This record gives sequence, C-alpha cells and structure tokens, in this order.
Amino acid sequence: MQKFDHPRVLIVLGTVALLLTACAGAAPPPAATEPPEAGPTQEAEPTQVEGSLTVLDWAGYDAADFWTDFQQAYPNVDVGFEFGASDADIYAKMAAGDQADIFHPYTGWGQFYVDEGLVEEIDTSQLSNWDKVPDSMKALGQFNGKQYCIPWDWGFTSVLYRTDKVSGTIDSWAALLDPAYSGHISTWDDGPGMVAVSSWIHGWDETAITPEQLAQIKQEWTDQRALNLFYWAGEPELTAAIASGDVWVAYAWQGAYATLLGEEVPVAYANPKEGRNSWVGLYCIRKGTENYDLALKFLDAKLGEATGNNLVNLYYYGSANQDVMNGITDEALKAAFSIDDPSILENTNFTPNLTAEQRDAWTAMWSEVKAAP
Amino acid sequence: MDRRRTFWGLVLPPGLWLVAFLLVPLTLMAAFSSRGDMRGGILRAWTPTAEQYQVLLETGSYTRLLAVSAGMALLVAVIATLLAYPIAYFLAFRAGRRAPTYLLLLLIPFWTSYLLRVMAWKLILGSGGALNSLLIGLGLIVEPLRFFFYNRGAVVLTLIYVWIPFAALPIYAALLRVEPSIMEAAFDLGATPLRRLQRIVLPLSLPGLVASFFLVFIPTVGEYVTPLLIGGSSGSMYGNIIQDFFTKAGNWPLGSALAMVMLVATLLAVVLAAVLVDVRRLVDI
Repeated sequence: MQKFDHPRVLIVLGTVALLLTACAGAAPPPAATEPPEAGPTQEAEPTQVEGSLTVLDWAGYDAADFWTDFQQAYPNVDVGFEFGASDADIYAKMAAGDQADIFHPYTGWGQFYVDEGLVEEIDTSQLSNWDKVPDSMKALGQFNGKQYCIPWDWGFTSVLYRTDKVSGTIDSWAALLDPAYSGHISTWDDGPGMVAVSSWIHGWDETAITPEQLAQIKQEWTDQRALNLFYWAGEPELTAAIASGDVWVAYAWQGAYATLLGEEVPVAYANPKEGRNSWVGLYCIRKGTENYDLALKFLDAKLGEATGNNLVNLYYYGSANQDVMNGITDEALKAAFSIDDPSILENTNFTPNLTAEQRDAWTAMWSEVKAAP
Repeated sequence: MDRRRTFWGLVLPPGLWLVAFLLVPLTLMAAFSSRGDMRGGILRAWTPTAEQYQVLLETGSYTRLLAVSAGMALLVAVIATLLAYPIAYFLAFRAGRRAPTYLLLLLIPFWTSYLLRVMAWKLILGSGGALNSLLIGLGLIVEPLRFFFYNRGAVVLTLIYVWIPFAALPIYAALLRVEPSIMEAAFDLGATPLRRLQRIVLPLSLPGLVASFFLVFIPTVGEYVTPLLIGGSSGSMYGNIIQDFFTKAGNWPLGSALAMVMLVATLLAVVLAAVLVDVRRLVDI
C-alpha cells in the first residue's frame, strides 16, 4: 500500500478550507436589534421590526411593486415567495402542509381552505386600510359568516372582440359559440369558467347545475371545439393572437383589453346582456402560523395606496382599495374598468364559491370535451 | 471479491436513485389511483377502491384518446428514426475526421430551450409565419392558410423535428461498431453500396434502430407540452388530460389512474412488439 504522501493535495485542501471559512466570515452579521422605544405596552417602531414571512403566490406577484407599502414600512422583514401555477396547485400545496404564512387563492376556491381548516380568521380591527374596501368586496372574503380572507385584486371577464373583423356589436356570451366566427374564437382553458358561461346563456343558476344541464353543457362545448382555434392559458398568448388577427372573438379578462388598447388594436369589450363576470383574488393567512401579527401587517400593507396604484397601472387589474379605483385618470383604464358606468357592476355575475363536487364534476366535464373524438 | 465490491459500488448509487425517484413515486401514484377523492387532505388514509378505473373505462373518450396518442407516437417514432438513419450513417461512414464537429452541430439544438424549438414552428407555420408569407408573396394565396397550425398535424411535424437529433444517437453508436473490414470484404466480393447497406449495415445496426424507435415512441405517448402550445383545441393528447387532472382539477386519484393505464398500456405494447415483430425478418437477413 502506497504511503499517502501528497503534500500538494493537502495544500490545496487546506487552501480551499481557508477560503470557505473566509467566505463564511465575510457574510454580514445579523442586524442588531434596537431596544423598543418606550414602555412595554408600546410596539417597536415598524422600521425596527424584524422577522420573516413566506407568501405562496402566483408567478409575477413577487414583484416588489406589489408589496411596496410593506417594504417601505418594514424594511427589516424578510419576505420570501413560493409559487403556485394555479388555484388547484396552490390548494394542493397548502393541503399537503406547505408552511407559507400567506397564500393567494381566487374566489371560487376559498371555501375549500375553510372546510379543510387551513385558514386563520382575520382580525379586521388591525387593518388600517379596511374601511377603504367596499362591503361587496369584503363579503367575498367571508365564509361561514367570518372574515377569513381579504380581497386584493379583481377584474372582469367578458367577450373581447376585433371591431374590424366582427360586424356590429357583440352583446351576448353566445358569441363564443357562434359558427359565424368559426376558427377565430378562443376561450380560457377552464371547465368551471365555461360552465358559468353556459349557465348565463341559458339563464340557469350557476350554483345549482343539475347533471342533465351539465351533460348539455358538455355537448355544447364539444360542438364548439370545432369553432375554437385554441384554448388560452395566459393573457400574453391571447393578446398576441388577437393582435395578429388569428382570433376575432375571445373570452378575456380586462387586462387583455387594456393591453390591446394600448397597442392600438381595434377591439371592444362587450357588455353582454347576461352580464359580465367578475373574479376577485384573496389573500389569506395559514392556520397555525407563528407570524400572525406580521402577516396581518403584510395584508394591511397590500391594501395600501402605492401597492394598489401599481396593481392598476402595471397589471390593469382592479384594486380592492376603492380610493385607488376612484383616482384612476388613464382613459384606457377607465374604459377597461367601465368606471364611468356604475350600472355595469350591478349587472355583473361574481364568481360564486365552488363546492368540491362541482369542482370535480366541472373539471372532469372539460377534460371530456378535450378528449372527445 | 474485489469484482463483487466494484460491481455493487457501481450499481448501488444509480440503483438507489431509481428506487427513490422512480419506484417510490410510481408506487405512490398507483396508491393514489385507488383513492376515491381528495377530500380531507392529501395525507389522510383511505380505503382502496377501483372507482377511478371504472370512471376511466366508462368514459370511453379517454381510452380512445390514448389510442390516438399512441398512433401519433408511432408515426413520429417511425418517421424520426427513418430520417435519423441517413444522418447517423453519414456521421459514421462519411464524415471521417470531421465527425466530432458534425456531431456537435447535431447536438446544438439540445442546448436551446425545448419551448423555443416548439415555438419556432409557430414562426414557420403560423398565419403570420414564413410559409404563409412566402405563399402570399408569390401571389399563390391572398389570405393566410390556417390549416398548417393549431392541429394534430403541426404537433406530429414538430415532434419529429424535435426528436431527430435524439434518434440519431443510438443509431450512430450502433453503426460505429460495424467493422470497416467487413465493409471492405463485401466490396471485394462484388456487393453494390445498396446491397451492402441492406445485407450488412442495416442488420448490424438493428439494435440501434430499435433502441432509437423506442426512445422516441415511449415518451411521445405521454407528450403534453407540444400539443398544449400548438395543438389547438382539437389537438389534445392523452398527456394533456393527465396534466389537467393534476394541475387544474386537483384530482390526483383520477390523474394517477390515467397515468397508470398509460404506463401499463405502453409496457404491454412494447413487450408485444418485441415478441411479435421479428425485425430481422423484415430486413431479410
């Protein structure tokens, strides 16, 4: 057996070890905590508050613009983000025991978290911006009579169409199934969304769809598939197709409308006689989190004005903060939100909560539409 | 003793890896497929039920879509392998000293994102793409033709394009093992190049061809990204349905059942093919 006699190797290893310890030593020491200002009953100054929060959010929502109020007020708090690809994905993660303090589902899925005991009740007395949220919005975050989530972002869904390719005005959701636009229609890739559209067209109660109605809905969307160019999964895909003239009529959120207006594509956002749809994004706190107070502060800051303005101007989504909505001056945005026409909201169908049975049945229906010969 | 140790030393790490990241997840998936629904959280215990498989079989369209997807995969595998063969032949016998350079060129597409390679076809086949612009520019058509894109044909074409570099590699490896002296002997005995290809090269490279075919066929059955991007509403493949049940519906049991059916069906098809199709007979050895 050869004697281990390699001084060079030892020197290299030794140097590497020294470098590693030097790097570790170079890491900045943790910020010193300053003692609280006054007596024990007063909270520490916000800028002195330390801690960390984890938020389970949708891709892109980690942008600093979307929590700028919190960043300004609490610069010493570390906020980390985890991502979910869809409501089902976020729900699956939370149900599996994800330790995120805060998460961001959309209306329709909120009830599942309450049923499975995954959310903490929100102490709204701690939210300084709560009075800026309209009652109708507050109600969307209430389940079983308690405030479990705060509303944050909202938007419309309606029929978006090219005014130069479509003759006349579109005034009904039935345009999405109209053979006149064959090959130029695009709907969102979502079963529950399409069930809702059918319920509005037929005048059915979208919270009480019977199996016979569901079978009819399935047949109608299977027939519609031949007219549909593609199912869009994200707004950029849709706006590109409308701008290029491939798609003339689409199921779309108003973000797409505002984007196309900005690109000077001739489009209009319908006011269907059945009413537009509106969806609302909710922020909720995980049950059992140790950072409850800090999470509340985060949610309060989410409702802040600077954050709301960024949401409106950068994503063209509505803010739950009514002061922000009242302060919009951009004409394209005003058109997108129909701000000058309050009757629009009155005729709007807000997405109701799904039950687990509906979720399973309606998503399965959509898969069968896609799999049909 | 030493050889045993070497053997286990080499086999154990990948073996453990496969157990942890292949067998365990597959077992979990099989277990999930026996679950009734996802209520009560992911980790609660459940009584096994065959309900999901029942739903699957009763909804005839899922199994039909699996057959269609397998058919598309077969088409892609056959054409990709056939097109890859001349490339591999050239690399093995004609490229000479430049073979490594050409091999590098062949592999460069792997360095780009898969999504980019798929979306590139939109720039070629789409209504505003190169093909339509050419036809309009030549005055052959006025409005862009839309049947090139957002359908199953576009999916098959794109998948063939994506798989050709992969398919060439096993064939290339097999062709490298053909002794040049055998080729010379055939030449001396009066064989034409075509005869040489048919009677010597093809039979000897058969293992590579078969490997290439299955390398392309098996993953393509479950393909979902390409149909999602360019298949359009009517171009869904079986993989899209599985993906929908996992990500949109949160319905892991049914998604798992669909995945297990695809796994078993693909394995059966491969075993059947290996047993029934004596490829050597096809090639007239």
